[in-house]
Amino acid sequence: MTHIAFQPAGPSVEVEADYVVVGSGAGGATAAVTLARGGARVVIVEAGPWRDPDDYPSSVYGAMRDMLESWGSTFTRGRAFWPLVQGSLVGGSTVINSAICVRTPGDVFERWQREMGVPQSSLADAVWGAQDELERELSSEEVPPAARGRSNLLAKRGADALGFDSHFMHRYVKGCRGDGQCLQGCKADKKQSLNRNFIPEVLTRGGSVLSCAPATRIVFEGQRAVAVTGRFKHPQTRQNGATFSVRARKGVVVAASVTHSPLLLQRSGVRNPMVGKGFRAHPGAPVFGCYDEAVDMNTGATQGWASMAYRDKPGFKLETLALPLDMLSGRLSGAGDLLMERLTEFRHIAMWVQACRAESVGEVRSTATGKPAVHYTLHREDMLRFREGMYLVAKMHVAAGARAVLPSIFGMPYKLAPDEIDQLKDASLDPRAYVSILSHLFGGCMMGQDPARSVCDGNGRVHGYANLLVADASAIPSNLGVNPQHTIMGLARVWSQRMLEAA
Amino acid sequence: MIWLIAFAMRAMMPRTAQLPGIADTDLNGFLRRMRQDAEPLYWVGLVAGAVLFALTPLLTLGIPLPAFCLPKKLLEKHANKLLSHPSYMLRQSVFLVRLSAGMCWGADPAVRARFALSPYAPDPGSFRTS
Ligand SMILES: Cc1cc2nc3c(=O)[nH]c(=O)nc-3n(C[C@H](O)[C@H](O)[C@H](O)COP(=O)(O)OP(=O)(O)OC[C@H]3O[C@@H](n4cnc5c(N)ncnc54)[C@H](O)[C@@H]3O)c2cc1C
Ligand code: SF4
Repeated sequence: MTHIAFQPAGPSVEVEADYVVVGSGAGGATAAVTLARGGARVVIVEAGPWRDPDDYPSSVYGAMRDMLESWGSTFTRGRAFWPLVQGSLVGGSTVINSAICVRTPGDVFERWQREMGVPQSSLADAVWGAQDELERELSSEEVPPAARGRSNLLAKRGADALGFDSHFMHRYVKGCRGDGQCLQGCKADKKQSLNRNFIPEVLTRGGSVLSCAPATRIVFEGQRAVAVTGRFKHPQTRQNGATFSVRARKGVVVAASVTHSPLLLQRSGVRNPMVGKGFRAHPGAPVFGCYDEAVDMNTGATQGWASMAYRDKPGFKLETLALPLDMLSGRLSGAGDLLMERLTEFRHIAMWVQACRAESVGEVRSTATGKPAVHYTLHREDMLRFREGMYLVAKMHVAAGARAVLPSIFGMPYKLAPDEIDQLKDASLDPRAYVSILSHLFGGCMMGQDPARSVCDGNGRVHGYANLLVADASAIPSNLGVNPQHTIMGLARVWSQRMLEAA
Repeated sequence: MIWLIAFAMRAMMPRTAQLPGIADTDLNGFLRRMRQDAEPLYWVGLVAGAVLFALTPLLTLGIPLPAFCLPKKLLEKHANKLLSHPSYMLRQSVFLVRLSAGMCWGADPAVRARFALSPYAPDPGSFRTS
């Protein structure tokens, strides 16, 4: 077993494997362990460094520096500049996510069949079967009562009072302590991010990991992918190191995320004009509630409560989310004495979000420097959904007993009394009035049967290439309306098993 | 450029009777670290935001002076007007200054103690090298 971290400039690092997997997040790590369990020798090539819980940062500054892609400074280019948040380290975004695990709803497969011609019968059952396995392997558990924390309990109270279904979440966590630090990586090592299980398993099965190793190209011989090349990059100094080349005897799996997988294919000469098309997201935005009693939202699971009651219509998911003080204090509006006065209420604030099941479609392109640029703007129907979600969260806060609601929408008062929240019904529909964050991303290498409308087929295989697989969120051709990692992992498992069988 | 950014941040998060201000934290140390660590694009955005903050009292208050020349009350008014300016580009360009100020202030042990939060352990910045 080998792990090769940053190598300074010098002789090129040459490695050989059956399969090379580019990217080690939800999709890549799952594909890699599945291939390794099937007896293949696997090499994972990951752009970021390998950090263990002792290496995890505590502060938001540390998380931006050590864990986020480009310091979280990738923004949508469109009417509004909304940040896209993704992890860049071994384990990918699973290290910084909240570990929420939701099975793929049946309507998602129906839609893929209807819109993209992906046969539902062969995929749905296989993915659900894989999700059964993943839930066992990664210990999907409901947030335990001791880790629920006040914010999650208040949200349940609000939903119950309004009479809609909601639940404490299932997450890939073993014995959550409720430290509320999921977004900076779980130092208590309870969260089952994939750097803690699947990737070490690949090593024990004879595989290798190249970290600090952004892949720049896939090399082809005819229509076969035969190698992945790139150059090591130091995570602190950003200095370039040695070049590397990993020969792939049997196949290459691309799982470098929604923003990077399309660019890697383009750079490597995959000429399908659909590469980069079909970007989608679940843009999320918070509404804060201010309570008489202390909420201390950072105590308890970072995200512990959710509702799917409005997933189909109007189309949003509701969730709790605890922001650390060093993030929230940069996020509340105002400046000077006014801001400091607002901050005195920090302990009394609960933050809940709506994640909009947006239908708007964007595109991932490359900038002149080779970085991803995401062109994306929400259209009016999505903004109506978005605003309705905000209003419902405000209503939940009031139903849960909040003394005031902080809508966090440009043009609205900072605080609304409970009897004033109907003002939210008329809030602006201009995306620029909202500070939204995009962390559930889809598309760029969409799956579908028709090569003129998609990049890969219903088995993840890139059209026109015998042994090139896409196994990450970029293959997903629609929004899901639920948290995506379980779907991504389910697809990655099924598709890599099929790749093994085909070999 | 650090002094320029620190000036904007101090205006945004001053000390009050109830809470320490950003000047009570190791702001210069924070900014020095950030200059070294941050993606060049992030740092450029931060500097641009601070420059804009210093130069725009004419736009926010109609006063043709740089922000350094404003007394405290007017400086606060300028900061609030800029952060809530009708022009999206203007308010967005100081967003990074505000966000980064929050990161510095909210990670300070004395500030955290005010909210019954335990101090952060240092960010090791380490990773597997073999
Ligand atoms: C803060 C946050 C919270 C979230 N919470 C949840 C949640 O609770 N539940 C849920 O279901 N989903 C959640 N998500 C979303 C979920 O984590 C992602 O949808 C999922 O991880 C995406 O999987 P992926 O394999 O497509 O990409 P990622 O997991 O992002 O992995 C991609 C990897 O590829 C690497 N890479 C990129 N370019 C290259 C290259 N050129 N060469 C080599 N490597 C490269 C990256 O460094 C990264 O490690 C959250 C996301 C975020 C950011
Ligand atoms: S809430 Fe805390 S203990 Fe639980 S998984 Fe997240 S970081 Fe780990």
